[in-house]
Amino acid sequence: MKAVFITYNQALTDRVNFIFEQLRIKGFTQFPLTYGRGTNGGEPRMGSHAWPEMNTSILTMVEDEMVPLILKYVEKLDNVNKENGIRAFVWNIEQMY
Amino acid sequence: MNIFESAVEKPISTLMIFLAVVVIGVFSYIQLPVDQYPKMDPPYITVMTTYPGANATDIEQNITKILENQLNSVDDLKEMTSVSYDNLSVVTLEFEWGINLDNASNDVRDAVDKSMSSLPDDIDRPTIMRMSTSMMPILVYAVTADQSFGGLYKILDDKVIMRLNRVDGVAAAYVAGLPERVVYVDLDPNKLDAYGLSIESIGNKVLAENMDVSAGTVKVGIDEYTLRVEGEFDESEQIKNISIPLAGGKTVKLSDIANVRDTLKDITLEQKVQRGKGGILLVTKQSDANAVAVATEAKEMLELAKSEMPADIEFTMINDSSDFITKAIRNLESTLMYALISVVVVVFIFLGRWRSTFIIAMTIPISLIVAFIYLLVTDGSLNTITLMSLSIAIGMVVDDAIVVLENITKHVERGSRPKEAAKYGTNEVWTSVIVTTLVTIAVFFPLTLIPGIMGIFFKPLGWIICISVTTSTLTAISFTPMLSSKFLTMRNAAEEEKQGFSFYAWSNRTFGKLDAWYENLIRWVLGRKKIVIASMTLLFIASLLLMRFVSTEFFPQNDQNALSVYAKMQQGQRVEVTREIALKVDSMIREVVGEDLKTLTVSYGSEETASFASMMSTTGSNVMNMRMRAVDVKDRKNGESIFQIGDKIRAILKEVPEVLEYTVSFGNSGTTGNSVDIEIIGHDFETTTNFALEVARDMKQVPGAEDIQISRGDDKTELQIYLDSEKLARHGLTTSGVGATLRNKIYGYRQSKFKEEGEEYDIIVRLDEQFRSSITDVENFIITDGYGQNVRAKELGDIREGFSPPSIQRKSKQRYLTVSVTPADGYALGDMAEAAKEVLSQKELPQGVTTYVGGAYEDQQDSFKALLLLMALALLLVYIVMAAEFESFISPFIIMLAIPFAFTGVILALLLTGSTLSVVAALGAVMLIGIVTKNGIVLIDYINLMRERGYELTEAIALSCRSRLRPVLMTSFTTILGMLPMAIDHSEGAETWRPMGISVIGGMVFSTIITMIIVPAAYAASNKRGNRKKDVEEKKSYHFMDDFDAERDLPACQKN
Repeated sequence: MKAVFITYNQALTDRVNFIFEQLRIKGFTQFPLTYGRGTNGGEPRMGSHAWPEMNTSILTMVEDEMVPLILKYVEKLDNVNKENGIRAFVWNIEQMY
Repeated sequence: MNIFESAVEKPISTLMIFLAVVVIGVFSYIQLPVDQYPKMDPPYITVMTTYPGANATDIEQNITKILENQLNSVDDLKEMTSVSYDNLSVVTLEFEWGINLDNASNDVRDAVDKSMSSLPDDIDRPTIMRMSTSMMPILVYAVTADQSFGGLYKILDDKVIMRLNRVDGVAAAYVAGLPERVVYVDLDPNKLDAYGLSIESIGNKVLAENMDVSAGTVKVGIDEYTLRVEGEFDESEQIKNISIPLAGGKTVKLSDIANVRDTLKDITLEQKVQRGKGGILLVTKQSDANAVAVATEAKEMLELAKSEMPADIEFTMINDSSDFITKAIRNLESTLMYALISVVVVVFIFLGRWRSTFIIAMTIPISLIVAFIYLLVTDGSLNTITLMSLSIAIGMVVDDAIVVLENITKHVERGSRPKEAAKYGTNEVWTSVIVTTLVTIAVFFPLTLIPGIMGIFFKPLGWIICISVTTSTLTAISFTPMLSSKFLTMRNAAEEEKQGFSFYAWSNRTFGKLDAWYENLIRWVLGRKKIVIASMTLLFIASLLLMRFVSTEFFPQNDQNALSVYAKMQQGQRVEVTREIALKVDSMIREVVGEDLKTLTVSYGSEETASFASMMSTTGSNVMNMRMRAVDVKDRKNGESIFQIGDKIRAILKEVPEVLEYTVSFGNSGTTGNSVDIEIIGHDFETTTNFALEVARDMKQVPGAEDIQISRGDDKTELQIYLDSEKLARHGLTTSGVGATLRNKIYGYRQSKFKEEGEEYDIIVRLDEQFRSSITDVENFIITDGYGQNVRAKELGDIREGFSPPSIQRKSKQRYLTVSVTPADGYALGDMAEAAKEVLSQKELPQGVTTYVGGAYEDQQDSFKALLLLMALALLLVYIVMAAEFESFISPFIIMLAIPFAFTGVILALLLTGSTLSVVAALGAVMLIGIVTKNGIVLIDYINLMRERGYELTEAIALSCRSRLRPVLMTSFTTILGMLPMAIDHSEGAETWRPMGISVIGGMVFSTIITMIIVPAAYAASNKRGNRKKDVEEKKSYHFMDDFDAERDLPACQKN
């Protein structure tokens, strides 16, 4: 099991949902409005007067086989328009109830 | 923080806010005056002009026409009518209801001023009068006496009137129909002749003797005296002893040549109260005074006065409008009470828990009490309209609370703590609660915009319901969650069942079965939706055909226990003959009506001078007026309505050959609000009168046509003296001189007054009646000519019998007359109007004559038109609100499918109960638009939700229907049972509102059943391809996953 954390401009919400639908990923936790800033460039998303845009983040726990698929389509989506910005991070699940 | 969160977190503040509202509401309730109807000033202004000596035609030409031309330009004028009598012109201006009458009367005054220069010089200045409801008496007593009859007027004036005028809010108290004291000096013309005296000389002698003259001051030594000549009569006996000087220094005592009587005025108008001699005591109130309070205080005053009066004077109540008001208000209050109880019972049956029932019941008083604050602030009163509005609101104000509480209960049963359940439960439904309220407001708010007389009645209704419903929504999202968080307990049905019988568990099970049955029904219907929709449409069309059998009416008439009879006999008939016939009719009525009769007052004849009594009703020596008062409806032996009694009296009048024309009108005011007026407009008197007679004759053949009356009076019979100017000149006389002499002989010389205890009484010097009661007597009147010689009247000219022209009525500057017809009990106004049109269409109209069917029928038509417009507005607003709510153009249509069936229900209910479609019933139909769409909203909202959650169409519909059945039934039942007391009430004043109760219940029952079937069917039919098409379209625009193939790419664990 892996945890995949995806964070992106909230304008991409529908498309990320579309990915999840296509990949038949049922379980997720979504944080609708999050602040953030990329390490390597990209506009900060602070919801402030200077940086008014906001991010959405989504966290999902999937089987190991699913990770490459997710990363593939996240990257594809990022390539459609780099300015929106979308990143995915993966780590291991140690335990669960 | 949201309003409901704050409410739950701060229960004490919430409680205090609502407590404050309740306290202010109760305070307002105590302050509110009680009246029958909302305050209204009839928008009529009358301009009266007198022009002595002109006949009706002259008046019409020289005064009425000129005034009409100027007055026509006054703003907001709706209709102008006029009547030109002999000597008098009356122009009546009718304005739109609700305009500022102060401005209007200023405009009228300006218009009259402008026309002054064109009017004849010797007219009296036109009087501008404003009608006011305060002119209608609130209390009418019959006063009878035996021995004290002679002094009755004086006694009443001293003891009663004075006291009554002191009562707060009494505008006037006066006595009508009692003869006044008068001193007659009846002369014998033969003796006058013998002594060489004239009436004028005796009259002047009486006037000259009856005087006190101040003659200056006399100084005597150190004192100063004023000198007075005392001649005024202290008692009437002195008149007899006046010495009249004769030629040659002789004198004769007045009593030798005349019969001097100190007595009561000869009757011309006589009242018979319960067959005894007596008069009528009337009390009117100031227009903004509280009728009930004024009447109560006036009655107390009268009781006090009674103790000081001779024992033989009796007071019988003829009319007490406060009595009707009190009873009607009390009935409405009990209707309100029953409505409250039935609503609470329904809620308890459905919810099965007393705590929930209590929480919901709490919203009722709060929502209703706010209406009292509104009434106090807007200067309103507690009247039949406002109370009825509250009664209508009762079933609606619980709906929001029910929805909120239901959702909170769901959370509690799931195990949430009541406090959290209250917060989150309310959060989930509060928007939909507000939307349903908006729909209700969309229907009732247009009511507040109705113009005219209907507006006066329906504005308070609209406002009260809007305000109550808005308050109920606010209560539902603040007070209800707060109470829920404190009162709801965590228990479930299964546990309760274990502890013995639980009503909650029982009702839950019973309704569960009903839910399951309904779900099966819906699945069955969804399989055959086309047939179902088609058959429903057929049903609706069939009901429209039934509409033909529903007859229409303007306002349902009230049984106010009172009726008045007017009957006209042969023109020129003596009062004595009229009396005989009146007494005969009196006993016939007593025989027929029997024990149901409480009082019967008869009056006949006319008063010489225009008095208040003659303003209220037509009088004449050939006219009799009766006022009958019956016992209360519930005490009548056969349970007959006053209208049935009226029909019996009409039958009696029909049998009396002397009675040429009669009307029987109901209620206290004496105005018939229920007639069809056939207006015949044309210039020529003879043509129009004849045509009117023909129409009247034909209308008599129409079954149910009663009280047929032609507005133009018969020509008056007159004795006319045509003087020969040649002969006048030869005798040194003038027409005015001869006229004055004749007037003194017959009408009498009335310059002098006899004073006693501060009152003045006329001293009438004239010929004894036996010498002035035949045409020969008049012909033989002796007139002293310019040379001191006596000539007889017949030598100066001819005396002929003739007719004087009738009064001339005009409307919108054209001469017209009306034939008015009142439908008998059980016949509808609309049918009568149709019959009148039928009669007119069969006739050939004479040249220059046009006809028009108006009267109450016209008002009815206008009102129905206004209601149709209102209905259109309501439909549009409801559509707008719903389209916004559902974000759809089609969904509102599906919901509004229920509305036609509500009308089907109304038609069926009216037919089944034999009621007529009156304005009130039609208003009920308009209200249904708001009430029945609520059910559809609840249903569609939930189906959409289920669809959103991904349920398949049929499944979504079936499950939603099952889940929403109870809320729909509950809100429908609360509305229906809230109206039930109104629909079955048979006591005073209930007639007005019963049709509304009937139509709302009929429409509600029918449309609820139909809504539950046709709305799901129509939803299924209109959503074949599903509502989610739009989403799919959108997703097709995403191309970044085009290379993805689920079958090929997904790992095995993800494929199921």
